[in-house]
Amino acid sequence: MAKVILTVDDSASVRQMVRFTLSDAGYIVLEAVDGKDALTKLTQPVNLVITDLNMPNLDGIGLIRSVRANPACKGIPIVMLTTESHEARKLEGKAAGATGWIVKPFTTQQLLAVVKRVLG
Amino acid sequence: MIDKFKQAFQEEARELLGELESALLELDRKRDDREVVGRVFRALHTIKGSGAMFGFDDIASFAHHLETAFDRLRHGQLEATADLISLTLAAGDQIKTMLDEAAGHGSVDRSRSEGILAEVRQLTGLPDAPAEAPSSPSSPSGDGGGPILDWRIRFRPGPGVVLNGTNPLLLLRELRELGQLRIDLDTAAIPPLGEIDAERCYLAWDMVLTTAAASTAIRDVFIFVENDCDLTIERGLARPAETIAPVAMTANRSISDGRRAADSGTASSIRVSADKLDQLVNLVGELVTVQARMGEVAARSDDADILAVSEEIERLTAALRENSMSIRMLPLKSSFERFRRLVHDLGIELHKEAELTIEGADTELDKTVIDRLNDPLVHLIRNSMDHGIETPEARRAAGKPRTGTIHLSAQHSGANVLIRLSDDGRGLDVEAVRARAVEQGLIDGAARLSEAEIFSLIMAPGFSTAREVTGVSGRGVGMDVVRRSMDELRASIDIGNQPGAGLTVTLRLPLTLAIIDGLLVRVGHSHFVLPLANSLECVELTRQDIQDSHGKHIANVRGELIPYIRLSEYFQMETPRPECEQIMVVETESGHYGFVVDQVVGDHQTVIKNLGRLYRNVQVVSGATILGNGTVALILDPHRLVQNAVQGVSHNKRSDGRRTRRNSNLDRQNSKQTNVFVQKGNRIDGK
Repeated sequence: MAKVILTVDDSASVRQMVRFTLSDAGYIVLEAVDGKDALTKLTQPVNLVITDLNMPNLDGIGLIRSVRANPACKGIPIVMLTTESHEARKLEGKAAGATGWIVKPFTTQQLLAVVKRVLG
Repeated sequence: MIDKFKQAFQEEARELLGELESALLELDRKRDDREVVGRVFRALHTIKGSGAMFGFDDIASFAHHLETAFDRLRHGQLEATADLISLTLAAGDQIKTMLDEAAGHGSVDRSRSEGILAEVRQLTGLPDAPAEAPSSPSSPSGDGGGPILDWRIRFRPGPGVVLNGTNPLLLLRELRELGQLRIDLDTAAIPPLGEIDAERCYLAWDMVLTTAAASTAIRDVFIFVENDCDLTIERGLARPAETIAPVAMTANRSISDGRRAADSGTASSIRVSADKLDQLVNLVGELVTVQARMGEVAARSDDADILAVSEEIERLTAALRENSMSIRMLPLKSSFERFRRLVHDLGIELHKEAELTIEGADTELDKTVIDRLNDPLVHLIRNSMDHGIETPEARRAAGKPRTGTIHLSAQHSGANVLIRLSDDGRGLDVEAVRARAVEQGLIDGAARLSEAEIFSLIMAPGFSTAREVTGVSGRGVGMDVVRRSMDELRASIDIGNQPGAGLTVTLRLPLTLAIIDGLLVRVGHSHFVLPLANSLECVELTRQDIQDSHGKHIANVRGELIPYIRLSEYFQMETPRPECEQIMVVETESGHYGFVVDQVVGDHQTVIKNLGRLYRNVQVVSGATILGNGTVALILDPHRLVQNAVQGVSHNKRSDGRRTRRNSNLDRQNSKQTNVFVQKGNRIDGK
């Protein structure tokens, strides 16, 4: 069965790129525009969350914390999108429970490599 | 593929610039609102991040400087000054020209970009640091080429590794892809069964990897976990060259290359010119009309095969129609947000303070309607700013807050969308409008007009109440433009006036201009269509029911008393009343109303045709449609029907006023007479 990936980003172009790349690779991709939206989408089974950190309403760190606090989503891999300039944010995300990260800007190959690493 | 991403970024960046602009304008009012600073920062941040991803490096580095400034603002190291805000507004415009240039329109004045950045640096005191070059720590690695070595790897993940979403087995599998891997499992740390926490990881692995990959490639596999695990990677002995691993890898790569090539042909969204969509909708309209005829023919032929095919076609056309209409629906948001800048700029120009509040911007409307809505709304907002909102001093004197409010809202109402623009300004001076109309010769000095009729005067061509022509309005082109565009859209305008407290203009727009779902009804020999979106139910009205209500036009529908309008009476059609009539219960703004018809024929996909200029003042009819047998059915506007029935209980009362007006200019220009239609109803529908 195809794995379901939720991409969370307030940037539609990044979401589109993630969606194209991953659905081409055979994944089912759901989209959410911010952390709050993502939590509503997480009521269905999702195998991986790819989230931006800077978002309105609920940011990436907040999302990661909420997902980790939710027993229904136990152990679900979460990959965060960070920028090089925000090393501190990366550590914060890691402490909140992120599985891995991708540094922006990234290419489709890098994205696929990371997804494969955490999702198999 | 990448071009498509670029296009998406282009569109998104434009939206973000809109957001940036509105956030900046808000910041201008609330200088220390952290929330708003956050919005500005996020917009810049996304422009920067996505820009770099899709190859817009100039935009990314430009946005980076501004982002840095607002990051400091966010952390309270800098203050939001008017200079910074207008500078950032200018920077937004500059990014827009950069986008235009990338899209092939115009060119960017680079010295201007430099100038803006220099000013930003001056304001923030930031050094001239270039945006960091895009780097990629998780770049594809593991390329062979080096000597084939044995690596001894010991990996003991932290206990919480699984909870954080890492599956250690995947890491081992990834290692195996680098070369030959021998794994020994270390289970020594597993506690007795009773103490096991199923969510903890107690395992460790000792591995020997034989690979040509560099040590960084091996370390890269563990990059996500290296901070919370024990990991040692030691180099073993050099080995004679083996070809197994590299071969396996090339095979992998060629497969994925092949897949990429095949995938580049697929697409999830494409851009189509609006003209093509219009053509599509026109063709669907024609198809629906032909399908109706087909249904008619099939029903007559009494041939089961043809009937089955006809039903199938009907189902498909309905689906096709719904699909092609939905393609053209867009939210009003981007259109509405643009007006914030307008209000801001007008405020500066007119030395007034006003704020635009927006509600219901997610409401979707046909693209053609949205496009044609822009100019009228600009006119209305200008009018509100110029004539409605007073100067801050006058407002204070009148006991109002210094800053005026203009509220723009959109909401669904059946098959319509209501767009409301209200301000808390001084409202319309009814007497002044009247005096001015007499002065301009639009009406006779002795004419007695209702308030609604006086308001319709301000939409007459050339009419203006402004004492002097300002740069913003007062030239008398405005409301008549609004009126004309609304007529073209088959929309209506209502003006609600509270002298001294503000003016509300309500535009009632049809959801779409082409095809609607309708309910076909018959009265005598004529057919009418009522929009299905408003229709609630159909019930029977027997002679007994009429007797029970003692001749009052009220029906009892499951305990609810519903007033009704008998269409044959309303249109003065002299048809025999059938034994059992039917009531269509319709939802209107003023509650539930019934329309009594001879027969409800059924639902009907209604291709809307305009009635033409001659009938444009007929309010109760919003268009006409062609039925399967080629006859014409009028599309009724239930809201107007009810309004007219409630207001003009007797048409005779108004006939005096009409005679007065017939001689005036007004009559030729913009009178709204439903009576014309009422009296000639039978003739209009082509009988």
